[in-house]
Amino acid sequence: MAISLGYVFRETRGNLRWNVTLFAATIVAVWVSLTLFGSSLLIREGVEQATGRWQGGIEFIVFMNADASEAQHAAIRGALDENPEIDGYDYVDQQGAFNEFITEFADRPELIENVTPEILPPSYRVKPSVGDADVIEALAAQFDARPGVRQVTLPVEVIRTLQQNSQKVSVFVLIIAIVVLLAALMLIANTIRTAIFARRQDIEVMKLVGASNWYVRLPFMVEGTIQGLIGGALAIPMLFLMNNLMAGFVQDDYLELLRSLVVDSAVVWNTSLLVTGIGAAVGVVGSLFAVGRFLDV
Amino acid sequence: MIELDQVTKIYKGEVLALYSVSCKISKGEFVFLVGPSGSGKSTFLKLLNRQETADQGAVWIAGKEVGALPRSSVPKLRRLVGCIFQDFKLLPNRTVYENVAFALEVTGRSRQQVRTQVPSLLELVGLSKKTHSYPHELSGGEQQRVSIARAFVNRPPILLADEPTGNLDGDTSNGIMRLLAEINKRGTTVVMATHDQHIVNAARRRVLRLDRGRLTADDAQGRYA
Ligand SMILES: Nc1ncnc2c1ncn2[C@@H]1O[C@H](COP(=O)(O)OP(=O)(O)OP(=O)(O)O)[C@@H](O)[C@H]1O
Ligand SMILES: [Mg+2]
Repeated sequence: MAISLGYVFRETRGNLRWNVTLFAATIVAVWVSLTLFGSSLLIREGVEQATGRWQGGIEFIVFMNADASEAQHAAIRGALDENPEIDGYDYVDQQGAFNEFITEFADRPELIENVTPEILPPSYRVKPSVGDADVIEALAAQFDARPGVRQVTLPVEVIRTLQQNSQKVSVFVLIIAIVVLLAALMLIANTIRTAIFARRQDIEVMKLVGASNWYVRLPFMVEGTIQGLIGGALAIPMLFLMNNLMAGFVQDDYLELLRSLVVDSAVVWNTSLLVTGIGAAVGVVGSLFAVGRFLDV
Repeated sequence: MIELDQVTKIYKGEVLALYSVSCKISKGEFVFLVGPSGSGKSTFLKLLNRQETADQGAVWIAGKEVGALPRSSVPKLRRLVGCIFQDFKLLPNRTVYENVAFALEVTGRSRQQVRTQVPSLLELVGLSKKTHSYPHELSGGEQQRVSIARAFVNRPPILLADEPTGNLDGDTSNGIMRLLAEINKRGTTVVMATHDQHIVNAARRRVLRLDRGRLTADDAQGRYA
Protein backbone atom coordinates (compact mmCIF):
# COMPACT_ATOMS: atom_id res chain seq x y z
CA MET A 1 0.00 0.00 0.00
CA ALA A 2 1.42 3.34 -1.01
CA ILE A 3 1.99 5.82 1.78
CA SER A 4 0.80 9.27 0.81
CA LEU A 5 3.29 12.11 0.85
CA GLY A 6 0.72 14.25 2.60
CA TYR A 7 0.58 11.79 5.47
CA VAL A 8 4.37 11.71 5.87
CA PHE A 9 4.54 15.47 5.65
CA ARG A 10 1.83 16.05 8.25
CA GLU A 11 3.24 13.45 10.61
CA THR A 12 6.74 14.86 10.33
CA ARG A 13 5.50 18.37 10.89
CA GLY A 14 3.52 17.21 13.90
CA ASN A 15 6.58 15.45 15.31
CA LEU A 16 8.68 18.57 14.87
CA ARG A 17 6.12 20.75 16.56
CA TRP A 18 5.83 18.59 19.60
CA ASN A 19 9.40 17.61 19.92
CA VAL A 20 11.24 20.87 19.45
CA THR A 21 13.77 20.33 22.22
CA LEU A 22 14.70 16.82 21.22
CA PHE A 23 14.63 17.83 17.58
CA ALA A 24 17.07 20.64 18.31
CA ALA A 25 19.20 18.38 20.50
CA THR A 26 19.75 16.00 17.64
CA ILE A 27 20.64 18.84 15.30
CA VAL A 28 23.16 20.21 17.77
CA ALA A 29 24.68 16.76 18.24
CA VAL A 30 25.04 16.37 14.48
CA TRP A 31 26.34 19.88 14.12
CA VAL A 32 29.04 19.71 16.79
CA SER A 33 30.25 16.24 16.02
CA LEU A 34 30.34 16.73 12.27
CA THR A 35 32.20 20.01 12.74
CA LEU A 36 34.84 18.12 14.69
CA PHE A 37 34.99 15.35 12.14
CA GLY A 38 35.15 17.78 9.22
CA SER A 39 37.87 19.78 10.94
CA SER A 40 40.06 16.76 11.39
CA LEU A 41 39.59 15.89 7.72
CA LEU A 42 40.61 19.43 6.78
CA ILE A 43 43.67 19.30 9.00
CA ARG A 44 44.72 16.06 7.37
CA GLU A 45 44.20 17.60 3.96
CA GLY A 46 46.26 20.60 5.09
CA VAL A 47 49.10 18.41 6.31
CA GLU A 48 49.31 16.57 2.99
CA GLN A 49 49.16 19.80 1.07
CA ALA A 50 51.84 21.40 3.21
CA THR A 51 54.09 18.37 2.82
CA GLY A 52 53.73 18.64 -0.93
CA ARG A 53 54.67 22.30 -0.77
CA TRP A 54 57.68 21.76 1.46
CA GLN A 55 58.86 18.93 -0.70
CA GLY A 56 58.38 21.12 -3.76
CA GLY A 57 60.72 23.66 -2.20
CA ILE A 58 63.57 21.16 -1.87
CA GLU A 59 66.55 21.46 -4.17
CA PHE A 60 69.85 19.74 -4.71
CA ILE A 61 73.12 21.39 -5.59
CA VAL A 62 75.47 20.34 -8.37
CA PHE A 63 78.94 21.75 -7.54
CA MET A 64 81.25 22.06 -10.56
CA ASN A 65 85.02 21.95 -10.51
CA ALA A 66 86.43 25.45 -10.30
CA ASP A 67 88.25 24.79 -13.58
CA ALA A 68 85.41 23.05 -15.40
CA SER A 69 85.40 23.87 -19.09
CA GLU A 70 82.70 25.85 -20.82
CA ALA A 71 81.79 22.71 -22.79
CA GLN A 72 81.28 20.78 -19.57
CA HIS A 73 79.02 23.56 -18.25
CA ALA A 74 77.05 23.57 -21.47
CA ALA A 75 76.56 19.79 -21.24
CA ILE A 76 75.24 20.08 -17.71
CA ARG A 77 72.88 22.87 -18.63
CA GLY A 78 71.61 20.89 -21.59
CA ALA A 79 70.95 17.88 -19.38
CA LEU A 80 69.15 20.05 -16.80
CA ASP A 81 66.98 21.65 -19.47
CA GLU A 82 66.02 18.34 -21.03
CA ASN A 83 65.15 16.44 -17.89
CA PRO A 84 61.37 16.42 -17.30
CA GLU A 85 61.86 15.71 -13.63
CA ILE A 86 63.55 19.06 -13.18
CA ASP A 87 61.49 22.19 -12.82
CA GLY A 88 64.31 24.69 -13.16
CA TYR A 89 67.67 25.72 -11.77
CA ASP A 90 69.74 28.73 -10.77
CA TYR A 91 73.38 29.13 -11.64
CA VAL A 92 75.63 30.56 -8.96
CA ASP A 93 79.01 31.57 -10.41
CA GLN A 94 82.26 31.88 -8.52
CA GLN A 95 81.64 35.50 -7.59
CA GLY A 96 78.17 34.57 -6.38
CA ALA A 97 79.58 31.71 -4.32
CA PHE A 98 82.13 34.11 -2.84
CA ASN A 99 79.39 36.58 -1.89
CA GLU A 100 77.47 33.82 -0.16
CA PHE A 101 80.63 32.73 1.60
CA ILE A 102 81.23 36.24 2.89
CA THR A 103 77.68 36.51 4.18
CA GLU A 104 77.82 33.16 5.85
CA PHE A 105 81.17 33.66 7.58
CA ALA A 106 80.85 37.36 8.24
CA ASP A 107 81.90 36.76 11.84
CA ARG A 108 85.07 34.92 10.86
CA PRO A 109 87.26 37.34 8.95
CA GLU A 110 90.29 34.98 9.14
CA LEU A 111 88.44 32.53 6.87
CA ILE A 112 87.39 35.19 4.41
CA GLU A 113 90.94 36.48 4.17
CA ASN A 114 92.16 33.16 2.80
CA VAL A 115 89.45 32.73 0.20
CA THR A 116 89.22 34.18 -3.27
CA PRO A 117 86.42 33.70 -5.83
CA GLU A 118 88.76 31.62 -8.05
CA ILE A 119 89.02 28.73 -5.66
CA LEU A 120 85.31 28.45 -4.97
CA PRO A 121 83.25 26.02 -7.09
CA PRO A 122 80.44 27.41 -9.19
CA SER A 123 77.17 25.54 -8.72
CA TYR A 124 73.72 24.77 -10.12
CA ARG A 125 70.83 24.91 -7.62
CA VAL A 126 68.37 22.44 -9.09
CA LYS A 127 64.65 22.29 -8.32
CA PRO A 128 63.22 18.85 -9.00
CA SER A 129 59.56 18.66 -10.06
CA VAL A 130 58.97 15.70 -7.76
CA GLY A 131 59.22 15.45 -4.00
CA ASP A 132 60.00 11.78 -3.66
CA ALA A 133 63.34 11.09 -1.98
CA ASP A 134 64.20 8.08 -4.14
CA VAL A 135 63.59 9.94 -7.38
CA ILE A 136 65.71 12.89 -6.27
CA GLU A 137 68.49 10.58 -5.21
CA ALA A 138 68.55 8.88 -8.63
CA LEU A 139 68.46 12.27 -10.31
CA ALA A 140 71.40 13.51 -8.28
CA ALA A 141 73.39 10.36 -9.07
CA GLN A 142 72.96 11.05 -12.82
CA PHE A 143 74.68 14.42 -12.47
CA ASP A 144 77.34 13.19 -10.10
CA ALA A 145 78.75 11.00 -12.87
CA ARG A 146 79.10 13.79 -15.44
CA PRO A 147 82.48 15.31 -16.37
CA GLY A 148 83.34 18.56 -14.67
CA VAL A 149 81.10 17.81 -11.68
CA ARG A 150 82.89 17.92 -8.39
CA GLN A 151 80.11 16.86 -6.07
CA VAL A 152 76.33 16.71 -5.80
CA THR A 153 74.83 17.43 -2.42
CA LEU A 154 71.23 16.65 -1.72
CA PRO A 155 69.10 16.82 1.42
CA VAL A 156 67.84 13.25 1.14
CA GLU A 157 67.78 12.83 4.90
CA VAL A 158 65.68 15.97 5.22
CA ILE A 159 63.26 14.71 2.58
CA ARG A 160 63.01 11.29 4.15
CA THR A 161 62.34 12.72 7.57
CA LEU A 162 59.77 15.09 6.16
CA GLN A 163 58.04 12.30 4.28
CA GLN A 164 58.01 10.02 7.26
CA ASN A 165 56.84 12.67 9.67
CA SER A 166 54.13 13.96 7.44
CA GLN A 167 52.97 10.42 6.85
CA LYS A 168 52.88 9.87 10.59
CA VAL A 169 50.99 13.09 11.20
CA SER A 170 48.60 12.28 8.40
CA VAL A 171 47.87 8.79 9.73
CA PHE A 172 47.55 10.17 13.23
CA VAL A 173 45.07 12.84 12.18
CA LEU A 174 43.16 10.26 10.16
CA ILE A 175 42.89 8.06 13.23
CA ILE A 176 41.62 11.04 15.20
CA ALA A 177 39.12 11.78 12.45
CA ILE A 178 37.86 8.21 12.53
CA VAL A 179 37.60 8.20 16.31
CA VAL A 180 35.75 11.53 16.17
CA LEU A 181 33.45 10.12 13.51
CA LEU A 182 32.69 7.06 15.62
CA ALA A 183 32.01 9.24 18.63
CA ALA A 184 29.84 11.45 16.44
CA LEU A 185 27.86 8.49 15.16
CA MET A 186 27.29 7.21 18.67
CA LEU A 187 26.31 10.63 19.96
CA ILE A 188 23.87 11.22 17.11
CA ALA A 189 22.42 7.72 17.32
CA ASN A 190 22.00 8.12 21.04
CA THR A 191 20.25 11.47 20.73
CA ILE A 192 17.89 10.06 18.13
CA ARG A 193 17.28 7.07 20.35
CA THR A 194 16.42 9.30 23.27
CA ALA A 195 14.03 11.29 21.12
CA ILE A 196 12.32 8.18 19.86
CA PHE A 197 12.34 6.53 23.27
CA ALA A 198 10.25 9.45 24.47
CA ARG A 199 7.73 8.48 21.85
CA ARG A 200 7.68 4.73 22.31
CA GLN A 201 4.13 4.81 23.61
CA ASP A 202 3.00 6.70 20.55
CA ILE A 203 4.64 4.07 18.42
CA GLU A 204 2.94 1.31 20.37
CA VAL A 205 -0.46 2.95 19.96
CA MET A 206 0.11 3.50 16.26
CA LYS A 207 0.86 -0.17 15.87
CA LEU A 208 -2.18 -1.15 17.93
CA VAL A 209 -4.56 0.81 15.73
CA GLY A 210 -3.20 -1.00 12.71
CA ALA A 211 -0.37 1.12 11.34
CA SER A 212 2.15 -0.89 9.35
CA ASN A 213 5.80 -0.53 10.23
CA TRP A 214 6.49 1.78 7.31
CA TYR A 215 3.71 4.13 8.36
CA VAL A 216 5.42 4.52 11.71
CA ARG A 217 8.97 4.56 10.41
CA LEU A 218 8.77 6.89 7.48
CA PRO A 219 7.97 10.14 9.31
CA PHE A 220 10.76 9.38 11.80
CA MET A 221 13.19 8.75 8.98
CA VAL A 222 12.22 11.97 7.27
CA GLU A 223 12.70 13.74 10.58
CA GLY A 224 16.13 12.13 11.01
CA THR A 225 17.13 13.16 7.49
CA ILE A 226 16.08 16.74 8.10
CA GLN A 227 18.02 16.83 11.36
CA GLY A 228 21.10 15.32 9.73
CA LEU A 229 20.94 17.75 6.83
CA ILE A 230 20.47 20.80 9.04
CA GLY A 231 23.22 19.70 11.44
CA GLY A 232 25.55 18.96 8.55
CA ALA A 233 24.70 22.23 6.82
CA LEU A 234 25.40 24.15 10.04
CA ALA A 235 28.82 22.49 10.17
CA ILE A 236 29.75 24.00 6.79
CA PRO A 237 30.19 27.59 7.99
CA MET A 238 32.16 26.22 10.95
CA LEU A 239 34.60 24.51 8.62
CA PHE A 240 35.03 27.66 6.55
CA LEU A 241 35.44 29.65 9.73
CA MET A 242 38.19 27.32 10.92
CA ASN A 243 39.98 27.46 7.60
CA ASN A 244 39.72 31.24 7.50
CA LEU A 245 40.95 31.59 11.06
CA MET A 246 44.10 29.72 10.05
CA ALA A 247 44.40 31.84 6.96
CA GLY A 248 44.25 34.83 9.30
CA PHE A 249 47.63 33.81 10.75
CA VAL A 250 49.22 34.79 7.44
CA GLN A 251 49.02 38.38 8.62
CA ASP A 252 49.97 37.40 12.11
CA ASP A 253 53.14 35.70 10.91
CA TYR A 254 53.71 33.86 14.11
CA LEU A 255 51.87 30.58 13.92
CA GLU A 256 53.70 29.33 10.85
CA LEU A 257 52.47 25.79 11.19
CA LEU A 258 48.75 26.62 11.31
CA ARG A 259 49.13 28.93 8.38
CA SER A 260 50.51 26.17 6.23
CA LEU A 261 47.45 24.05 7.00
CA VAL A 262 45.06 26.37 5.17
CA VAL A 263 43.40 24.59 2.30
CA ASP A 264 41.54 25.62 -0.83
CA SER A 265 37.90 26.56 -0.45
CA ALA A 266 37.13 23.83 -3.00
CA VAL A 267 38.55 21.32 -0.54
CA VAL A 268 36.41 22.81 2.23
CA TRP A 269 33.36 22.46 0.00
CA ASN A 270 34.12 18.83 -0.73
CA THR A 271 34.55 18.11 2.95
CA SER A 272 31.33 20.00 3.66
CA LEU A 273 29.38 17.90 1.17
CA LEU A 274 30.82 14.74 2.65
CA VAL A 275 29.96 15.88 6.15
CA THR A 276 26.40 16.84 5.21
CA GLY A 277 25.95 13.55 3.42
CA ILE A 278 27.15 11.68 6.48
CA GLY A 279 24.75 13.75 8.59
CA ALA A 280 21.78 12.81 6.44
CA ALA A 281 22.82 9.16 6.29
CA VAL A 282 23.26 8.95 10.05
CA GLY A 283 19.90 10.64 10.50
CA VAL A 284 18.10 8.10 8.32
CA VAL A 285 19.87 5.01 9.56
CA GLY A 286 19.85 6.18 13.18
CA SER A 287 16.12 6.75 13.27
CA LEU A 288 15.47 3.56 11.33
CA PHE A 289 17.24 1.54 14.00
CA ALA A 290 15.89 3.57 16.90
CA VAL A 291 12.29 3.11 15.76
CA GLY A 292 12.87 -0.55 15.02
CA ARG A 293 13.29 -1.36 18.68
CA PHE A 294 9.75 -0.26 19.45
CA LEU A 295 7.93 -1.58 16.41
CA ASP A 296 7.65 -5.08 17.72
CA VAL A 297 4.26 -4.58 19.38
CA MET B 1 -15.97 -15.14 12.98
CA ILE B 2 -13.97 -15.72 16.19
CA GLU B 3 -12.93 -19.13 17.41
CA LEU B 4 -10.66 -20.24 20.24
CA ASP B 5 -9.54 -23.83 20.23
CA GLN B 6 -8.09 -25.09 23.53
CA VAL B 7 -6.12 -21.93 24.03
CA THR B 8 -3.57 -21.77 26.82
CA LYS B 9 -1.56 -18.69 27.65
CA ILE B 10 1.27 -18.76 30.17
CA TYR B 11 3.13 -15.52 30.85
CA LYS B 12 6.88 -15.78 31.40
CA GLY B 13 6.62 -19.53 31.64
CA GLU B 14 4.91 -19.41 35.03
CA VAL B 15 1.76 -17.25 35.19
CA LEU B 16 -1.15 -19.28 33.87
CA ALA B 17 -3.49 -16.65 32.40
CA LEU B 18 -5.73 -18.84 30.24
CA TYR B 19 -6.08 -22.59 30.33
CA SER B 20 -7.56 -24.63 27.49
CA VAL B 21 -10.24 -22.11 26.58
CA SER B 22 -12.49 -23.03 23.66
CA CYS B 23 -15.40 -21.02 22.30
CA LYS B 24 -16.98 -19.66 19.15
CA ILE B 25 -18.39 -16.18 18.59
CA SER B 26 -20.46 -15.62 15.47
CA LYS B 27 -20.69 -12.59 13.27
CA GLY B 28 -22.86 -9.84 14.71
CA GLU B 29 -22.88 -11.15 18.28
CA PHE B 30 -22.49 -9.03 21.40
CA VAL B 31 -20.58 -10.96 24.05
CA PHE B 32 -19.65 -10.05 27.61
CA LEU B 33 -16.47 -11.44 29.10
CA VAL B 34 -16.73 -11.48 32.90
CA GLY B 35 -14.70 -12.81 35.77
CA PRO B 36 -12.75 -11.63 38.78
CA SER B 37 -9.65 -9.56 38.48
CA GLY B 38 -6.76 -11.59 37.08
CA SER B 39 -9.05 -14.23 35.58
CA GLY B 40 -7.68 -13.64 32.08
CA LYS B 41 -10.19 -11.30 30.41
CA SER B 42 -7.64 -8.87 29.06
CA THR B 43 -5.44 -11.74 27.99
CA PHE B 44 -8.39 -13.23 26.07
CA LEU B 45 -8.83 -9.95 24.17
CA LYS B 46 -5.10 -9.48 23.57
CA LEU B 47 -4.95 -12.83 21.84
CA LEU B 48 -7.58 -11.64 19.39
CA ASN B 49 -5.57 -8.68 18.05
CA ARG B 50 -2.20 -10.36 18.47
CA GLN B 51 -0.92 -8.21 21.28
CA GLU B 52 -0.10 -11.63 22.72
CA THR B 53 0.15 -15.06 21.18
CA ALA B 54 -1.19 -18.34 22.56
CA ASP B 55 1.27 -20.86 23.94
CA GLN B 56 -1.01 -23.77 23.07
CA GLY B 57 -4.11 -24.09 20.96
CA ALA B 58 -5.19 -21.76 18.19
CA VAL B 59 -7.13 -18.52 17.79
CA TRP B 60 -9.02 -18.06 14.53
CA ILE B 61 -10.44 -14.83 13.19
CA ALA B 62 -12.29 -14.64 9.88
CA GLY B 63 -10.82 -18.00 8.88
CA LYS B 64 -7.19 -17.10 9.65
CA GLU B 65 -5.10 -18.43 12.48
CA VAL B 66 -4.02 -15.31 14.36
CA GLY B 67 -0.93 -16.79 15.98
CA ALA B 68 0.38 -18.04 12.65
CA LEU B 69 0.10 -14.71 10.83
CA PRO B 70 3.39 -13.33 9.61
CA ARG B 71 4.39 -10.09 11.31
CA SER B 72 3.67 -8.14 8.17
CA SER B 73 0.00 -9.18 8.26
CA VAL B 74 -0.60 -8.04 11.82
CA PRO B 75 -1.55 -4.45 10.83
CA LYS B 76 -4.23 -5.88 8.53
CA LEU B 77 -5.60 -7.99 11.39
CA ARG B 78 -5.72 -4.95 13.65
CA ARG B 79 -7.79 -3.03 11.14
CA LEU B 80 -10.19 -5.96 11.17
CA VAL B 81 -10.28 -5.97 14.94
CA GLY B 82 -10.88 -2.53 16.43
CA CYS B 83 -9.86 -2.21 20.05
CA ILE B 84 -11.01 0.00 22.91
CA PHE B 85 -8.37 -0.08 25.59
CA GLN B 86 -8.96 0.06 29.30
CA ASP B 87 -6.48 2.96 29.52
CA PHE B 88 -7.72 4.58 26.28
CA LYS B 89 -4.25 4.74 24.72
CA LEU B 90 -4.90 8.08 23.03
CA LEU B 91 -1.97 9.93 21.50
CA PRO B 92 -1.44 12.82 23.94
CA ASN B 93 -0.01 15.25 21.40
CA ARG B 94 -2.89 14.97 18.98
CA THR B 95 -6.31 16.48 19.04
CA VAL B 96 -9.47 14.40 19.19
CA TYR B 97 -9.79 14.79 15.44
CA GLU B 98 -6.18 13.79 14.79
CA ASN B 99 -6.41 10.77 17.06
CA VAL B 100 -9.38 9.41 15.17
CA ALA B 101 -8.05 10.46 11.78
CA PHE B 102 -4.79 8.64 12.39
CA ALA B 103 -6.50 5.26 12.51
CA LEU B 104 -8.04 5.99 9.12
CA GLU B 105 -4.92 7.42 7.54
CA VAL B 106 -2.83 4.36 8.32
CA THR B 107 -5.29 2.28 6.36
CA GLY B 108 -4.40 4.38 3.33
CA ARG B 109 -7.70 6.23 3.19
CA SER B 110 -7.66 9.45 1.17
CA ARG B 111 -7.64 12.85 2.81
CA GLN B 112 -11.11 13.43 1.46
CA GLN B 113 -12.49 10.28 3.07
CA VAL B 114 -10.81 11.21 6.35
CA ARG B 115 -12.40 14.66 6.23
CA THR B 116 -15.89 13.29 5.90
CA GLN B 117 -15.70 10.17 8.04
CA VAL B 118 -14.00 11.54 11.14
CA PRO B 119 -16.58 14.27 11.84
CA SER B 120 -19.47 11.86 11.32
CA LEU B 121 -17.88 9.44 13.80
CA LEU B 122 -17.29 12.22 16.33
CA GLU B 123 -20.93 13.13 15.89
CA LEU B 124 -21.92 9.53 16.63
CA VAL B 125 -19.98 9.49 19.90
CA GLY B 126 -21.21 12.99 20.73
CA LEU B 127 -17.88 14.78 20.65
CA SER B 128 -18.41 17.21 17.78
CA LYS B 129 -17.77 20.11 20.11
CA LYS B 130 -14.45 18.69 21.29
CA THR B 131 -12.95 18.10 17.87
CA HIS B 132 -9.89 20.21 18.51
CA SER B 133 -9.34 19.43 22.17
CA TYR B 134 -6.36 17.45 23.34
CA PRO B 135 -6.88 14.27 25.40
CA HIS B 136 -5.76 15.91 28.66
CA GLU B 137 -8.50 18.47 28.24
CA LEU B 138 -11.18 15.75 28.24
CA SER B 139 -12.99 13.91 31.02
CA GLY B 140 -12.52 10.14 31.37
CA GLY B 141 -15.83 9.45 29.67
CA GLU B 142 -14.97 11.74 26.79
CA GLN B 143 -11.59 10.09 26.33
CA GLN B 144 -13.32 6.73 26.35
CA ARG B 145 -15.61 7.93 23.59
CA VAL B 146 -12.65 9.17 21.51
CA SER B 147 -11.16 5.75 21.90
CA ILE B 148 -14.43 4.18 20.73
CA ALA B 149 -14.58 6.52 17.74
CA ARG B 150 -11.01 5.62 16.83
CA ALA B 151 -11.66 1.89 17.18
CA PHE B 152 -14.75 2.09 15.02
CA VAL B 153 -13.78 4.71 12.44
CA ASN B 154 -12.69 2.26 9.79
CA ARG B 155 -15.76 0.11 10.42
CA PRO B 156 -14.02 -3.03 11.61
CA PRO B 157 -16.14 -6.19 11.60
CA ILE B 158 -14.95 -6.91 15.15
CA LEU B 159 -14.71 -4.55 18.10
CA LEU B 160 -12.96 -5.47 21.34
CA ALA B 161 -13.66 -3.40 24.43
CA ASP B 162 -11.62 -3.89 27.60
CA GLU B 163 -13.63 -2.46 30.49
CA PRO B 164 -14.88 0.49 28.46
CA THR B 165 -16.96 1.66 31.42
CA GLY B 166 -14.12 1.09 33.87
CA ASN B 167 -14.00 4.28 35.90
CA LEU B 168 -17.12 6.00 34.67
CA ASP B 169 -20.29 6.89 36.55
CA GLY B 170 -23.62 5.19 35.84
CA ASP B 171 -24.97 7.65 33.30
CA THR B 172 -21.77 7.87 31.38
CA SER B 173 -21.52 4.07 31.39
CA ASN B 174 -25.01 3.80 30.01
CA GLY B 175 -24.10 6.26 27.29
CA ILE B 176 -21.09 4.15 26.33
CA MET B 177 -23.22 1.02 26.34
CA ARG B 178 -25.79 2.62 24.05
CA LEU B 179 -22.96 3.51 21.72
CA LEU B 180 -21.61 -0.05 21.68
CA ALA B 181 -25.13 -1.40 21.15
CA GLU B 182 -25.54 0.99 18.23
CA ILE B 183 -22.25 -0.14 16.73
CA ASN B 184 -23.27 -3.76 17.23
CA LYS B 185 -26.60 -3.06 15.50
CA ARG B 186 -24.65 -1.89 12.44
CA GLY B 187 -23.26 -5.40 12.14
CA THR B 188 -20.05 -5.28 14.15
CA THR B 189 -19.25 -8.20 16.44
CA VAL B 190 -18.53 -6.82 19.92
CA VAL B 191 -16.58 -8.56 22.68
CA MET B 192 -16.54 -6.61 25.91
CA ALA B 193 -14.66 -7.44 29.09
CA THR B 194 -16.26 -5.96 32.17
CA HIS B 195 -16.68 -6.01 35.94
CA ASP B 196 -19.89 -4.04 35.78
CA GLN B 197 -22.70 -6.32 36.88
CA HIS B 198 -25.46 -3.78 36.37
CA ILE B 199 -24.60 -3.44 32.76
CA VAL B 200 -24.33 -7.17 32.21
CA ASN B 201 -27.56 -7.86 33.99
CA ALA B 202 -29.42 -5.14 32.14
CA ALA B 203 -28.21 -6.13 28.70
CA ARG B 204 -29.23 -9.79 28.74
CA ARG B 205 -26.63 -10.80 26.24
CA ARG B 206 -24.34 -13.76 25.94
CA VAL B 207 -21.90 -14.00 28.85
CA LEU B 208 -18.58 -15.85 28.89
CA ARG B 209 -17.24 -16.33 32.39
CA LEU B 210 -13.58 -16.81 33.16
CA ASP B 211 -12.19 -18.00 36.47
CA ARG B 212 -8.47 -18.30 37.01
CA GLY B 213 -7.97 -18.71 33.30
CA ARG B 214 -10.67 -21.33 32.76
CA LEU B 215 -13.88 -20.78 30.87
CA THR B 216 -16.47 -21.76 33.49
CA ALA B 217 -19.75 -20.62 31.94
CA ASP B 218 -21.20 -19.62 28.59
CA ASP B 219 -24.82 -18.42 28.89
CA ALA B 220 -26.80 -17.18 25.93
CA GLN B 221 -28.68 -14.58 28.01
CA GLY B 222 -26.51 -14.54 31.03
CA ARG B 223 -26.33 -12.58 34.24
CA TYR B 224 -23.20 -11.42 35.99
CA ALA B 225 -23.35 -13.54 39.10
N1 LIG C 1 2.45 -9.15 30.60
C1 LIG C 1 2.23 -9.99 31.64
N2 LIG C 1 3.26 -10.61 32.19
C2 LIG C 1 3.08 -11.48 33.22
N3 LIG C 1 1.90 -11.76 33.74
C3 LIG C 1 0.82 -11.16 33.21
C4 LIG C 1 0.93 -10.25 32.12
N4 LIG C 1 -0.29 -9.80 31.81
C5 LIG C 1 -1.14 -10.43 32.65
N5 LIG C 1 -0.50 -11.24 33.49
C6 LIG C 1 -1.08 -12.09 34.50
O1 LIG C 1 -2.01 -12.94 33.86
C7 LIG C 1 -3.17 -13.10 34.64
C8 LIG C 1 -4.40 -12.66 33.85
O2 LIG C 1 -4.30 -11.27 33.60
P1 LIG C 1 -5.39 -10.44 32.83
O3 LIG C 1 -4.87 -9.08 32.65
O4 LIG C 1 -5.77 -11.19 31.62
O5 LIG C 1 -6.59 -10.45 33.86
P2 LIG C 1 -7.96 -9.64 33.81
O6 LIG C 1 -9.03 -10.65 33.92
O7 LIG C 1 -7.97 -8.72 32.66
O8 LIG C 1 -7.87 -8.81 35.15
P3 LIG C 1 -8.52 -7.35 35.47
O9 LIG C 1 -9.97 -7.57 35.62
O10 LIG C 1 -7.86 -6.96 36.75
O11 LIG C 1 -8.16 -6.47 34.33
C9 LIG C 1 -2.94 -12.27 35.90
O12 LIG C 1 -2.50 -13.14 36.90
C10 LIG C 1 -1.86 -11.29 35.52
O13 LIG C 1 -1.06 -11.00 36.63
MG1 LIG D 1 -7.95 -6.59 32.38
